[in-house]
Amino acid sequence: MKEKSLWKKITGSREVSLVIVLIVLLAAVQTLSPSFLTATNIAQIFRNNALTMLMALGMLCVMLTGGIDISITSTLAFSGMTIGLLQKYDILHNTFLLFLIGAVIGLICGSINGMIVAKGKVAPIICTMGFMYIWRGMAYVISNNAWASGQDVAGFSDFGKDGAIGPYIILIIAYIIFFVVMKWTKFGRQIYAVGSNKEAAAISGINVKKTITSVYAIMGMLAGLAGVLSVSIYASAQPNMQYGKEMDVIAACVIGGVSMSGGRGTVVGTFLGALIIAIIAKALPLVGISSIAQNFVKGVIILAVVVLNVITQRTMDKQNLSRREI
Amino acid sequence: MAGKSGREISATPKGGITKILSWEGALILVFIAVIILGKSISPNYTLNNVLREMQKYLPEIFMMFGMGFILVLGDIDISVGSIVCLCATLTCIAANAGVPFILAALLCILIGTCCGMLNGFLATKFTELPTMIITLGTQIIFRGIAEMSLGSGGSVSYKNSKDIAVLAKKIGPFPISFFLVIILGVVMITVLSRTTFGRKLYAIGSNKTASYYAGIKVQRTRFLCYTILGTLAGLCALFLLSALYGANTTTGQGFEMEVIAMCVFGGIATTGGKGNLIGGLIAAFIIVCLRIALGQINMNTQLILVIIGAMLIVSVLIPQIKNALMPKKQKV
Amino acid sequence: MKKRVISIVLSAVMAAALLAGCASTGSSAPAAESAPAEEAAPAEEAAPSEEAAAPEAGAATYALITKSAGNPYNEKEAEGFQEVIDAMGGTCIIQHPEAATADAQIAVIQSLISQGVSSIAIAANDANALSAALQEAADAGIKICTLDSDVVADSRATFCNQAGVQEVGQALIDAVYDLTGGEGQYAILSATSQATNQNAWIDSMKAISEGDAKYAGLELVEVAYGDDEPQKSTDQTQALLQKYPDLKVICAPTTVGIAAAAKVLQDQGSSVVLTGLGLPSEMAEYIGADDAHSCPYMFLWNPIDLGRLAAYTSIALVNGDITGAVGDSFTAGDMGDYTLTGLADGSGSEIILGPPFQFNPENIDEWKSVY
Repeated sequence: MKEKSLWKKITGSREVSLVIVLIVLLAAVQTLSPSFLTATNIAQIFRNNALTMLMALGMLCVMLTGGIDISITSTLAFSGMTIGLLQKYDILHNTFLLFLIGAVIGLICGSINGMIVAKGKVAPIICTMGFMYIWRGMAYVISNNAWASGQDVAGFSDFGKDGAIGPYIILIIAYIIFFVVMKWTKFGRQIYAVGSNKEAAAISGINVKKTITSVYAIMGMLAGLAGVLSVSIYASAQPNMQYGKEMDVIAACVIGGVSMSGGRGTVVGTFLGALIIAIIAKALPLVGISSIAQNFVKGVIILAVVVLNVITQRTMDKQNLSRREI
Repeated sequence: MAGKSGREISATPKGGITKILSWEGALILVFIAVIILGKSISPNYTLNNVLREMQKYLPEIFMMFGMGFILVLGDIDISVGSIVCLCATLTCIAANAGVPFILAALLCILIGTCCGMLNGFLATKFTELPTMIITLGTQIIFRGIAEMSLGSGGSVSYKNSKDIAVLAKKIGPFPISFFLVIILGVVMITVLSRTTFGRKLYAIGSNKTASYYAGIKVQRTRFLCYTILGTLAGLCALFLLSALYGANTTTGQGFEMEVIAMCVFGGIATTGGKGNLIGGLIAAFIIVCLRIALGQINMNTQLILVIIGAMLIVSVLIPQIKNALMPKKQKV
Repeated sequence: MKKRVISIVLSAVMAAALLAGCASTGSSAPAAESAPAEEAAPAEEAAPSEEAAAPEAGAATYALITKSAGNPYNEKEAEGFQEVIDAMGGTCIIQHPEAATADAQIAVIQSLISQGVSSIAIAANDANALSAALQEAADAGIKICTLDSDVVADSRATFCNQAGVQEVGQALIDAVYDLTGGEGQYAILSATSQATNQNAWIDSMKAISEGDAKYAGLELVEVAYGDDEPQKSTDQTQALLQKYPDLKVICAPTTVGIAAAAKVLQDQGSSVVLTGLGLPSEMAEYIGADDAHSCPYMFLWNPIDLGRLAAYTSIALVNGDITGAVGDSFTAGDMGDYTLTGLADGSGSEIILGPPFQFNPENIDEWKSVY
């Protein structure tokens, strides 16, 4: 009996269909490029996509409340550009302080987003679209057409160097914190509650506005951190960095089973979704698809993965239903 | 009551009319302010110059009407920029291969329609998926197809540019596309506010399930709206070609956001069921005229984007500020 | 009723605020752009085509449109352009389009037509899609030249070429030949698949290596595209290393790509070496002859000089010293005399700045602070 219920639990969970998709994808890539699953490659997958993976956590929180944030890569550019320039003009070179400043800038940007969404009752996509233009524009304005390059960020870039453990540690810590917070803390449950039913959440004593403001603030902070991380990994800061990549983050969440209408989604799912996006990015140049066709194939895979996920989910629901009838 | 226009079906029926009317009134005031601003900061802000510069932006306004429909439904389509790219690319290739102009033009619109239908098909078959993610997928795919057909050059010219230049002709100072915007505007505004089809959109946008039980063919209506938007994107591509004489992999990049911004600034809510196209049309002209004015004083182009972003946020905040200022009076 | 009144008042306030806001930024922005609206105004009065071509450089307005904002390479071009125009007493307008697309450049061109400038120098984001707008500008009497990246020949008078395509191709393939030791595999990491310059240089490299038996030992394994994004360029570089274990050299003829590739190779301590085209200030960290550095040497031209050449060309075009015909010649201030030469396909003229310059461990320290 116990075994059966565990089995039920596994097949009923949303993450299982994702794992299946992931395995299929990996098997396909591995056949086409037998050297794909090596330690270095796997390490590079995480390092090159650390930004997406980090921001996906924030996006999970935002989407759980039924919102969306498309200003994140602009926040990233603003924060990254700022700390790049701080080093270029020799104002500050302390790695820890730079991370702190980047996070604070992101936190401020995110809090403004959050306050307008929560207090102004503005549709999140519109509010963040406005700030997408604003923060990106600010990054351009402060850069004054300069880049911070390899020599400017020399000591600092060791943190995110190929082979350094910096980005992995940040990722691991972030995922552990979020896993714990979302699953076992009051704040985490409040986010789910707000996303599932705002009115009910408000009646049961949750400060809805505060919760919504905080998720955007968290998102901003992660985007700010990602900006610093980006400068460290790529050893350069440009105002157009990561332009358009917010869609990758949103895609990662949606693939990971996070509902855009709120209330549904897990840290594990988000991780799997981000991993799928990361594997696609890494595998495309390796499996011998001509570079001109790579974008097309990427689009097809993303769409196929979400559709496949829906179909698996439908069959599972049907099976579960018929089992219950028996 | 409800038969008169779609507005009454908005989610907040009380005071809906005055609210929306005053929003449009405000937009007209802003529009006038922008014109005065343009006149005062640039000596070159003349009717002829503004209309000539506007020609580049007018095709985008075609899509605004279709996007308005989609937003009223509570959906979103972020693939339109890529549809424009695909249509423009394939039309150039076809025309260069000897397809007569008229056929190439029809092909352009037809490709747009097909892309729209694909979006519609996916959106109605997989209703679990948010339309944003579906159109994100097709966004990458459509541009990907364009990239593949352009090959390693990534760029194609419309060799027989005399043909396509016909579309850039002017009647007086007014370009053809300006009249097309007006005609399309009248048609689309009427459809949305005066027909049963239009009212269905508001109903679906307000409450999908209720509309379904009320006998509205929700999925068929949604499919149709995506198709309309696709067709308009094809039309946009055609007129854009007359201003470019060529296409490349970045053609139409970012159009989706600009078009959505026009709609939202015009008072159409992305949550569905609210707003109308008159506002969208005025808002489109405000944004375009402002861009032209600030461009003429050579303002930093990034700063122009910052201003537009700020305008967008302020415009969506105004109703809230208004409500916050007025609750006492409402009770009286 | 009251509600409507209030809302109208509110919207009036908003309009006023908008007006005030824009007016204030409007007055501050031109200062930063060093093209005050007031100065642009008299130029328009004197504009209508023929008059603008009057010999004195002082009365005319010269515009430069770069490829995009936020790129130091473009900024250096603009610096050189501005320096010359200011010295000659002309009015200078420099505009960076909002995105690196032809669409965004068209908006700027149209605006400049309205302002009645005398000349436009443009670094084109696309060879074809600017034709209509440039034709309109030419019809309005504006002299047009391109720099850095050309458009189809009949939409401009002439092209200020930073270095002949042939010379760049030759320099790059020779570098590859030298670094591989005469034989072995090499790969190219380019910008986007539609980047005009990069495609021309790569084609030229291919043509040279196919046409000369000297290069028979070289094998081009792949042309990868990093889209001038650090992240994608990193992915592509790593993929190249993994796919071709025998790879000896990566050649990246693009400033973003070369910096990203340099970082990957240097971090991994890879034996693969790098060459290509890059900005000294961006690449200083990676240039060196020892194993600790990934790039022994690379090439570029001086973008400041390119901007200056474009400025002198614009002035010469406006003054009527040259028309853009092959064989025309003019004096570019202290840069010396330049003659317009024909393009390889015979469709128009170009002015070649000079051969590409090699940056190596000896001279990099001197140049990294210049550009």
